[in-house]
Amino acid sequence: MVFSGKYSIVGVGCSRFGKIQGVSTMGFTLEAAKRALEDAGLGRDEVDGVLVLMPAVMGEQHGWASRVASFLGIEPTFCATMDLGGATACAMAQTAAAAIEAGYCRTVLCCFATQNWPQGVELRLFGSEFQVPYGDVGAMTFMAHLKRRQQYEWGYPDEVYGTIAVTWRRHAQQNPEAQMRKPMSLEDYFASRWVVEPLRLFDCCPNTDGGGAFVVTSTERGRDLAKPPVRILGAGQSHSSEIIRPAGASDSHWGGKKAAEQVYRSAGVGPTDLSFAQIYDAFTPRVVHDVVAYGFCAPHEVADFVLEGNLDFGGRLPSNTAGGLLSEGHLSGFGHVREAVRQLRGECGPRQVPNAELGLVTGYGGAPHEAPPTVSYSALVLAR
Amino acid sequence: MFVLEKPLPRPTEDSAPYWEAARREELRLQKCQDCGHVRFPPSLLCPRCLSERAEWVRTSGRGTVYSFIVVHRPQHPAFQPDAPYNVAIVELEEGPRLHTNLVEVENSEIEIGMPVEVVFEKVNDEVTLPKFRPRRTENPGER
Ligand SMILES: [Zn+2]
Repeated sequence: MVFSGKYSIVGVGCSRFGKIQGVSTMGFTLEAAKRALEDAGLGRDEVDGVLVLMPAVMGEQHGWASRVASFLGIEPTFCATMDLGGATACAMAQTAAAAIEAGYCRTVLCCFATQNWPQGVELRLFGSEFQVPYGDVGAMTFMAHLKRRQQYEWGYPDEVYGTIAVTWRRHAQQNPEAQMRKPMSLEDYFASRWVVEPLRLFDCCPNTDGGGAFVVTSTERGRDLAKPPVRILGAGQSHSSEIIRPAGASDSHWGGKKAAEQVYRSAGVGPTDLSFAQIYDAFTPRVVHDVVAYGFCAPHEVADFVLEGNLDFGGRLPSNTAGGLLSEGHLSGFGHVREAVRQLRGECGPRQVPNAELGLVTGYGGAPHEAPPTVSYSALVLAR
Repeated sequence: MFVLEKPLPRPTEDSAPYWEAARREELRLQKCQDCGHVRFPPSLLCPRCLSERAEWVRTSGRGTVYSFIVVHRPQHPAFQPDAPYNVAIVELEEGPRLHTNLVEVENSEIEIGMPVEVVFEKVNDEVTLPKFRPRRTENPGER
């Protein structure tokens, strides 16, 4: 579907986030939703669509999206709970625009939150009978395999992964809300312990309690609201069932590449037109994958591309300008959408990308720890 | 509250024959009787041709290491005593890739491409886990 900028993100907000106890998942969701509506200057009576990401820890909770709507005191005519993990935020903007286009509603609140306590993420049991009995638990092991294959097939040195983590951390220091702001050097990266070899601690994002939200409506309507609308110029997604077919693998399915083709085609732009990117980065090897899949460089150019500082301010494509999941915190991609919108409004102060006109946001998620491991890719091109 | 026992497979309608075969120390996978595709994980339909006709065939038990990792910080406390332990993805001669542990080898000696063969680790009367070790025999599946 080609939206051609007909629909816009008109408000963004996050709850408090970090290591926070004493607030429920629902509480964080409502807090984020309220802030996004305030940012847009919209009353809740003007919301008639609600999309909510099912948090992974929620298990058997039913009707999550309509319960969120109910707690907000609104009765939407379009409501859905989505379950694409970290690919959901970008896909939600696409779904929201499509729902408005179809006439199901006029203004869609998109939101998400997670609370890792009191269950504790370590105690969660995932379903796969073919992986968990071998001690292969959680997304981290899947990402460790991804890094292993990237390094095996393309010989990327660890400095590539370390440089990504260090660059984002530097960006986070310009973001007062970021969860991880302590200065980090490449030496610190190499000194950090193995968690799942070949992943070091600083290849991984922290667990984050909190939530994010944004509001989608027509661009025309957005012009009367509190902030300038940020247009959804294009969207793409793709889904695949993969047992470790990472970027660069000779038999790679390249799921992200299909999403990339779709997002660029629908937006009518290419990777060289972008002002910045917010790349889904729960783990550093994800960034390496997207740098290739979204066309910033070829697989054999990744090491030079990263080490020459092209993802940093002043480089070819300043990326993860708020610190990314790795340093700002893991809000399942809602932080990336918020940062992209703020960059395009020129609200980012010391970390503002000059003349930001076009931004890419990527998402990634799914069920990598089930059998077969399935992953979803999603992307947005947003425009000032 | 703390679950200190390792989680074990709970077979489904789809996977029960896989685990029953493992109990007999056989690595069996579904083979499509229409297009010949050998598939994993088990399912009702062949993902290549959507045929419902399949038989559970005994595999060679041979494969190569496609990827391996070493878990230092397990995400489940029951595995903490084993850390650091390996998890490998083995690509079988028949095509499918399985997550497993490599045994009878030091973690530092594991390499991608290493030839391996299946061995069976009996956990209890209900569950036997297929694992893999560096290849020694000509045809382990026929032992
Ligand atoms: Zn078939």
